[in-house]
Amino acid sequence: MTAERFLAFLRRLNTGVAILVGIGLLGCAAFVLLDIVLRQVGTSFGGTDEISGYVMAVATSWGMAFTLLELGHVRIDLLRTRLPSRGRAAMDLFSMLILAVVVTLIAWQCWPVLANSLRNGSTANTPLETPLAWVQTPWLLGWVWFALVSWATLFAAAILVLRGEFDKSEAAIGAFAETETLQ
Amino acid sequence: MIAYVSIGLLGLLTLSIPVGIVLFILGIGIDQFFTPFPLLRGLGNLVWSSSNSATLIAIPFFVLLGEILVRSGIAERTYAALDKWISWLPGGLIHANIATATMFSATSGSSVATSATVATVAMPQAERLGYDPKLFSGAIAAGGTLGIMIPPSINLIVYGFLTQTSIPQLFLAGLVPGIALALAFILVTVLICMVRPDLGGETRSFPLGKMIRALLDLVPILLLFAVIIGTIYKGWATPTEAASVGVAGAFAIALAMGGVNLRMMRDSLTGTVKITSMIMLVVIGASFLNFTLSSAGLGAQLRGFLEGLGLGPLGTILVVVLIYIVLGFFIETLSLMVVTIPIIVPLVVAQGFDPIWFGILMIVLIEMALITPPVGLNLYVVQGARRSGSMTDVMLGAVPFVVVMLLMSALLIAFPQIALWLPSVL
Amino acid sequence: ENLNVVGSWSSLPLHQQYEAPFWSETLPEASGGDIEVALTTHDQMGLGVGDVYRLLGQGVYDVAMTVADYAVADAPELEGLDVPLVATDASTAREMVEAARPMVDDIYADRFNSKVLAIAPYPPQVVFCNAEIGSLEDLEGLKVRASGRMTAKFLEALGAEGINVAFSEVPGALQKGVVDCAVTGAGSGYSAGWWEVSTHLMPIPLGGWDSVVTAMNMDKWNSLDAEMQELIQTQIKTEFEDPAWESAQDALVNDIACLTGNGECPYGDARDMTLVEASETDIANAEEILISEVLPEWSERAGDDWAQRWNASVGEVVGVQIAQ
Ligand code: NA
Ligand code: NA
Repeated sequence: MTAERFLAFLRRLNTGVAILVGIGLLGCAAFVLLDIVLRQVGTSFGGTDEISGYVMAVATSWGMAFTLLELGHVRIDLLRTRLPSRGRAAMDLFSMLILAVVVTLIAWQCWPVLANSLRNGSTANTPLETPLAWVQTPWLLGWVWFALVSWATLFAAAILVLRGEFDKSEAAIGAFAETETLQ
Repeated sequence: MIAYVSIGLLGLLTLSIPVGIVLFILGIGIDQFFTPFPLLRGLGNLVWSSSNSATLIAIPFFVLLGEILVRSGIAERTYAALDKWISWLPGGLIHANIATATMFSATSGSSVATSATVATVAMPQAERLGYDPKLFSGAIAAGGTLGIMIPPSINLIVYGFLTQTSIPQLFLAGLVPGIALALAFILVTVLICMVRPDLGGETRSFPLGKMIRALLDLVPILLLFAVIIGTIYKGWATPTEAASVGVAGAFAIALAMGGVNLRMMRDSLTGTVKITSMIMLVVIGASFLNFTLSSAGLGAQLRGFLEGLGLGPLGTILVVVLIYIVLGFFIETLSLMVVTIPIIVPLVVAQGFDPIWFGILMIVLIEMALITPPVGLNLYVVQGARRSGSMTDVMLGAVPFVVVMLLMSALLIAFPQIALWLPSVL
Repeated sequence: ENLNVVGSWSSLPLHQQYEAPFWSETLPEASGGDIEVALTTHDQMGLGVGDVYRLLGQGVYDVAMTVADYAVADAPELEGLDVPLVATDASTAREMVEAARPMVDDIYADRFNSKVLAIAPYPPQVVFCNAEIGSLEDLEGLKVRASGRMTAKFLEALGAEGINVAFSEVPGALQKGVVDCAVTGAGSGYSAGWWEVSTHLMPIPLGGWDSVVTAMNMDKWNSLDAEMQELIQTQIKTEFEDPAWESAQDALVNDIACLTGNGECPYGDARDMTLVEASETDIANAEEILISEVLPEWSERAGDDWAQRWNASVGEVVGVQIAQ
């Protein structure tokens, strides 16, 4: 598989992930809405708050890799735009390398949180008593996924740069997507 | 340590490393160089507890709401309707830009989304009608900043989350300053175009029948605003929960107008995920940095330093304003907020200022940062929607509005009631 | 010896009047300069309240203090330290805490790798209502904001509906009827202006006493010589724990005076909330619910061993026994 096709594959894969995450958020919105309506008639699910928090944590971690491939993580390109394409490619690779290292460290440091919850059999400090491991496992996997995708992207982009295909590397790891809606 | 953080921040940002990652690196650096304690071991817990938050889930909800409005064509109709009502003023269509931005601010929680929405629908008109690009695009960039002042506002939610202040109170406090700013933008445009008619396009007027019919197109947005704000202030739901009501409302409107299809839903959902993770990487990075900074005693150091200056309340506020203006040139606004709030707000509150009032003052300064070069996201968004011309046009066009915002900050300091009156009577 | 100390909520009197002076002045002076302290608080660090002792055990800092109830996610047996309603005055609450101390020592050593130095009270967690109530039974069917698992379970058993609202949103929620009642310390409720949005005050510790545990990382503790350990233990008892408890009962009386206007308010203007005294039948009913539902559930969560230890210590002091 060429580096380019590999990147396209990664992007498709993460678009799928993002759609699932989006559906999860939509489901959470529906759940909260239903609870508001139920409260008007004097009852309630209870615990919508707690569940929204878990959805947010998991959605955040699993969305990270998609945002990366969509060039969504904000970068300041003051210096970068002034460089020729070769220099830009070098900066992009460097920045990608740093990101991959830091994200790996984050994923690594997230493991003890889950390990601790497993060891203590921790349950949320709420009437629901949600076992924390149930929600921290998918959360941790999201960060691990982000780390894996970062290294894979770095690797593919490095091949493009080495081949001198700067346009393609810029499309993969440049600073901004083409003027789509930011934030 | 202050020097390390400032220089490190600017240096790493210049290398165009993603902002959220820069915050993590600075935190790790503080752990390595400034404290003997293994702060890194706290990283995982901070990542978990800063993202496991029922308050912050309002962010994806409000983003999704905005995505649905843009992608279902509601934005275009609103713009056309406002054009019919307001373009008779000197400056013509520029007022429609500001008015559309103001209306969208009332449903959107983000400034960048607001200006992106308006830029997308307005820019083709500017080229067609031969407007001077400077003032036209500057007005969009500036009008868009109202997205975080007029409720709902993601930035006010983050402020409330970090400072433990009431989010509904903050929302109420932002309403009057937000509308005042919108009116001031229109006024300054009229003044400029009276002196230099060549900067505005021709004024436009429409037959009354068309104007009346156009009102119908404004109904969806007004309805949505009423539903969101009504839900909060009727006590049916918290601001976070009201965001889910807003999503349902936007979806219903889009359905009614026939703007819903599978592709539009897919794009709205992925767009939401992208923006949410982008914001959250910065929020999480900032909470880790804050944790290391306070463990290493920076907050106390800074407080000691500022208290040592013996400035008194007014002096302190002026220094703080100056800090935000300067940092606002260089730092992306959400990062600017999350990095500074834990240090600055306790200081300001200790001087006897109201945290709700200060939240609003900070938002004005953050709005300014969004349209000051070199780092001003709204400028980039508007420039992105233009197909030609240089970035300098947009920057110059935004200058009059920066002046308006400076005046607004001064007014807020002189008359805190501008912000505090509404929450006190409701 | 350098100590990095993380205090409890920076805005509350326990930190401002007792923790901060003790750690930044009293203890360093008593050690003749041998101990140097860097003090911050968990809210200033932006820590999740459930993480405070987790990180203490990992050595991220040396000493930490926060409400024990926040840590029950990792240690359900710790809920037994602060059972709602069984201690209605400060001296009983102190006896209860002292009876529980050996259990708490073991829990902290096992779960959080730390050594307990002191347990001090926040003022009892009482009930503010924006609704006509005359007794505990009237809470049935009302929407109540509570924090902490055992309190929430207890409210459920009373037939009330538990609603989660952030502290800063409570006044709005009370005013708009999102919640009918909310539980917090009487002093916090006074200073946060809850009297503006609620009418009735029931000064019984429905949320317990929110005991604040001060603990030191176990490795750090073991690295200190016996003399230093002795110094810290005596100082913290006489200069921090004792005074904090001594003022607790007065504080409750003053807080109630401030909120209801029954008596002198030393902090500012007295307000005119309606004081709702819990009757003896109320208390008896509550104990019945505790014994028949809430505590047996807890003993399932924590394990029977802990219920037995509780019966033999705290249970003896407060006269409540969990059926086995
Ligand atoms: Na808004
Ligand atoms: Na700027």
